[in-house]
Amino acid sequence: MTVQRAAVQRASWRQRARDPGWGLLFVLPMLVLFVIFRFVPSLGAVGMSLTDYRLSGDFSFVGADNYVRLFEDDLFFHSLRVTLLYAAICVPLALVVALGTATLLHHVVRGQSVFRGLLFLPYVTSFVMAGIIWTWIYESDGLINGLLEKLGVGPVPFLTGNQAMVLASLAVVSVWKSFGYSMLILVAGLKNIPEDIVEAAKLDGAGPCSRFWRITIPLLRPVIFFVLVIETIAAFQVFDTIYVMTGGGPARASYGLVYMLYDQGFKFFDFGYAATVGVVLFLVVFLISLVQRYVLDREKT
Amino acid sequence: MTATIEAQTPPRTYPTQAHRPRRNRANVWLTLLLVLASVFTIVPFVAVLVLAVSPESAPTIPRQLPDDVTLDNLTAVLSASSFLRWTLNSVLCSVVSVVIILLTAAMAGYAFARKRFPGSTALMWSFLATLMVPIQATLIPMFVLVSRLDGVNTFWGLIVPTLANSQAVFLMRQFIRELPDELFDAAKIDGAGEWTVFWRLVLPLTKPVLATLGIFVFLWHWNDFLWPLVIAQTDEMRTLTVGLSTLNAESVARARIMASAAISVVPCLIIFGVLQRYLVNSVATTGLKG
Repeated sequence: MTVQRAAVQRASWRQRARDPGWGLLFVLPMLVLFVIFRFVPSLGAVGMSLTDYRLSGDFSFVGADNYVRLFEDDLFFHSLRVTLLYAAICVPLALVVALGTATLLHHVVRGQSVFRGLLFLPYVTSFVMAGIIWTWIYESDGLINGLLEKLGVGPVPFLTGNQAMVLASLAVVSVWKSFGYSMLILVAGLKNIPEDIVEAAKLDGAGPCSRFWRITIPLLRPVIFFVLVIETIAAFQVFDTIYVMTGGGPARASYGLVYMLYDQGFKFFDFGYAATVGVVLFLVVFLISLVQRYVLDREKT
Repeated sequence: MTATIEAQTPPRTYPTQAHRPRRNRANVWLTLLLVLASVFTIVPFVAVLVLAVSPESAPTIPRQLPDDVTLDNLTAVLSASSFLRWTLNSVLCSVVSVVIILLTAAMAGYAFARKRFPGSTALMWSFLATLMVPIQATLIPMFVLVSRLDGVNTFWGLIVPTLANSQAVFLMRQFIRELPDELFDAAKIDGAGEWTVFWRLVLPLTKPVLATLGIFVFLWHWNDFLWPLVIAQTDEMRTLTVGLSTLNAESVARARIMASAAISVVPCLIIFGVLQRYLVNSVATTGLKG
């Protein structure tokens, strides 16, 4: 029986080795797409950042001029600060909301699937739709300020106030639209925590709070890190809500990195410079995932 | 210390009864908090609906509920030719993307899982490596490339550059690798050709994962914004998201915008309603990223 099976397996291996053409043929359509629309543009971004490419298609090689210009550009450092500040607000907020709702869902006895559905619902909408609704919710005669008015509290300038207020308001919209995904990942992580560890802690007299901090959180750490990584990367790529809700304003208070890239590319048509911003965006995101990776590996050992 | 605790512990007669009141109270609090969280996610949808059916320039929420309910906004939006055109564009782009990505990703996943060919490992890794490059970082060279190929403001320019999807390939590869070897050997012994194996064996067996992937690909493409924003240059090439953002930027009446937003989210809500359980469960099992 085993001999037979091994013979069949060996035959199929030989078959596979004999026909390398079929493997390539099956990969070919996707490979062509990847080469043209991922690999070439990735290298192209680096190449273009070394030129003064303009809309007309004329360009000349300018070496590192764009990078020098970028590091002397106050606007670039401003947009980098905006993005970092936005991520510093958005990522913890998303994590707390996702972890909180995941924990509630894990422990609630009845209606788990209904609540899960209701909480996940905004994930299926677009950031554009989310931006349009929340612009109204934030307006001076919108939902929140309308309710505050009834309590006799003055209008809060959510999208026209100071920078922290505007970025926090934008972060709430992103969290509303996408925390459901992280929540589901965390719910799956919670399900994987062995029941007997929790039971043992209960018998030892650990209350719900200490069980959460001393057992759930440490055992959930890898999942939490995964969620942190995807939320951080998403926060650095924020664009849609800024475009729809503030247009980078007021007074460039929400002028993030990707918004700067779009602005330089499609308002000033300074493609070489915009490509440079893109390369720096890649480096920043890459650096942050390396750091998170390093921290995660150190936590494991 | 242990002795005192043991001494204080009441004899264990019916522990469930002793715990029940406290557990019930805790459960009420949990449920209450979940209701609050659900209010946070649901209220914006309800608000859009109320505004969409409120008469234009009549008092409405948050001051008061509208006195009248009207379908004027919805019918006005649906009869506006550009809105229908944007919807058709979105449907076309999303459906074509789903079909092509499912087919090409299944083919590539099959090759990576079951075929040996020179450079297959390196190729798989180079596909995965593109996950590290944010799509925004390559926006400018992509745009220049597509404009050199005369793809700006065309359907192929909207669709084809978004089809290279490493998550889809990786997911299909993982799933096809788990299929039992015996099936493929049996097919070989029966003399099935490569295409037969793919169409008659791989595709039917991967139906569940194809369905999940299809839902996600549809949502990603239906909700995509930045790429169609730079590619669609005339009104009749805009997708729904881009069209909505232009309505929002122009001074169109609030009720009209909200009616458009309400209609734009309907396909996603239908998908969600029908496939909720499926969609929600698959996030954990497949690890598909939004």
